[in-house]
Amino acid sequence: MAATVPSDAAIAAQPAGPATESLVIAPMLIVLVVAVGTLLVGDRPRARAIVSLAGGVGYALAVAAIDWYVVLAPNAPGVATYQVGDLPAPFGITLVVDGLSAFMLTMVAVIGIASLVFSVRVLPELDRRSYYFPLFHFLALGVTGAFLTGDLFNLFVWFEVMLMASYIFVAYYGGPQHTRAAFWYVALNLLASAIFLLGVGGIYATTGTLNMADLARRLAAPAAYGIDPTPVVGLLALLLSVFAIKAGLVPFQFWIPTAYRAAPPQITALLAGATKKVGIYAIIRLSFTVFAGAQIGVDLTVPGTELGVAGDSPLVLVGAALFVMAAASILVGGIGAVGRSSLEGVFAYSSIGQVGFIALPVAIAATTTSSELRQAAILAALVYALNHSLAKGLLFLSVGTVRSATGTSRFDDLGGLAGRSPPLAIAVFVGSLALVGIPPLSGFFGKFLVFDAAVEAEASSALVLLLVGSLLTIAYATRTWNRSFWGARTEAVEEAAVDPVQVAVLVALAAAIVAVGVGFEPVYEFADAAAEAALDSDGYVEAVDPCEPGEMTEDCALEGATGNGGEHA
Amino acid sequence: MTAFGLAVAVGAMFALGTFLLLQRDLIRVVWGLAIVSQAANVYLLAMGGITSGTADSVPVLAGHADHVPETADPVVQALVLTAIVIGFGMTAFALVLSYRVYEEHDTLDVTELGDRE
Repeated sequence: MAATVPSDAAIAAQPAGPATESLVIAPMLIVLVVAVGTLLVGDRPRARAIVSLAGGVGYALAVAAIDWYVVLAPNAPGVATYQVGDLPAPFGITLVVDGLSAFMLTMVAVIGIASLVFSVRVLPELDRRSYYFPLFHFLALGVTGAFLTGDLFNLFVWFEVMLMASYIFVAYYGGPQHTRAAFWYVALNLLASAIFLLGVGGIYATTGTLNMADLARRLAAPAAYGIDPTPVVGLLALLLSVFAIKAGLVPFQFWIPTAYRAAPPQITALLAGATKKVGIYAIIRLSFTVFAGAQIGVDLTVPGTELGVAGDSPLVLVGAALFVMAAASILVGGIGAVGRSSLEGVFAYSSIGQVGFIALPVAIAATTTSSELRQAAILAALVYALNHSLAKGLLFLSVGTVRSATGTSRFDDLGGLAGRSPPLAIAVFVGSLALVGIPPLSGFFGKFLVFDAAVEAEASSALVLLLVGSLLTIAYATRTWNRSFWGARTEAVEEAAVDPVQVAVLVALAAAIVAVGVGFEPVYEFADAAAEAALDSDGYVEAVDPCEPGEMTEDCALEGATGNGGEHA
Repeated sequence: MTAFGLAVAVGAMFALGTFLLLQRDLIRVVWGLAIVSQAANVYLLAMGGITSGTADSVPVLAGHADHVPETADPVVQALVLTAIVIGFGMTAFALVLSYRVYEEHDTLDVTELGDRE
């Protein structure tokens, strides 16, 4: 075993034994092995399906173990790290799991398994020879890596791993609109990658490090490290725009409707439920864990006017930018969803609007000075993100069921689905109600906490926005329901053969939505731990424990390298 | 002087890349993407800077002569190497995809792509 106890400080704080450390890398290893395994079994659909499902279960078990041993157990350490190759931070690659990463991973595991079962059921009819399952696992690998990495450049690399798989899924069906959607998706993301590199390079030149913990430490005490952190504000803005593209916030939302329409529905569930959350996660992690400690005078007011923001922390910029983007997302997504003519069109636009609901509390958290409100707002964002993953995952999967049963998802060709398959209708009904936010479903607590954060922050403009957004949600959810599930049965619906396994997945997800709502207490505690971890910059730094430049202790000894290895720039 | 040259090179590459990105022809768009990502690589490389080496920072060179030459930051070199590999793969994929777009749409003109639903 390469894993060893990281440092005296970590031992003194909590017993983070080798077993916990290996847990950190377990989900990545499992999903990587499964990805390669599905490649190796070759053109045998049944073997691929078995390996895939076993891998999915193993992944979920590993994530559950992380949740328990790192975050939720009575004397859990809260943060666990793994230094790849046993090189100390900041020289080596650090993997970190704390409450925030664990919460996100859990979300991915749940929606990933649902999507996987669905894929196994749908796929043999489509194409036996495709590399669907290996790609599926590489997508999961990219998402997992992005949640676990403690290093800015590795975040870029994991983003690319995730995106490469998703490019192919967008182009998967290979028709005219699929290739076109894929091309613009690829082009946009390549441009975003270049901007990401600019941000990463600039931060390296400014601070001399890419390790997030080291970065947080240096930004909190720039004078001690002889750096001038001012450019970091602009670089953070560059990074924010990249993450906003991944999260699909307005004005970077334009790729979502076409890409979501083009990808297979079960992958769209994963794109909305998991890869979108990577953008949200990166915004929260960088803004609050890494950049929050920096004391930099920010003055972005337009000369001669009162317009703009000013403060003494880069968070001011994050708050203002996110607020504008969230507001626009809620409106554009909601209004766009009302007028769509197909199921996935509605859900894709709804996805844009819902991400606004997640970003708005994050904006409140960045703007406020009260640490209690900040934690409450992040908690609200996380609970809402969980609800979005479950509900939107369910709804996108239901598009797949409707499509494979009736061959269409356009409202004009649908009608009376409720009578044709009551379980399907009930599951979709629960998903829609969760989006709207009816108690006792998960969506109610998500909405409630977001509203609560807005009230606490006394942000009346945010409250108005949330109300308008909620009304729009009710409008498009009702319209979708009426047009496809109520009314007279169309020819396509009359001849539909609804797949029982697919419906079972949907019902399971609906049950999960109800379970999260009814047994909200543990979910709340988990989300609270996640929000606390996101804000606990010191705990994060201490757990990773990067070496001081020039420090030559036994822990920090690097073969062949000497003391100034940490001093670049 | 080197810094000035690099700045001009990065600026020129970004300008050229952006210009190509805005063209109507898909292949030129791919060229634009490739040039922009190379510009980001050059920028990244420039961020490391070149410092006068010491026997401490480059122990390998210490035994060769009494003079230790100037060295570049190895971290950015490693980063750029990774970024180049990713950029190369993605450019190849974008080219394949544009060929596929051509097969499906019989055109590479951006303005004509939107017409077929």
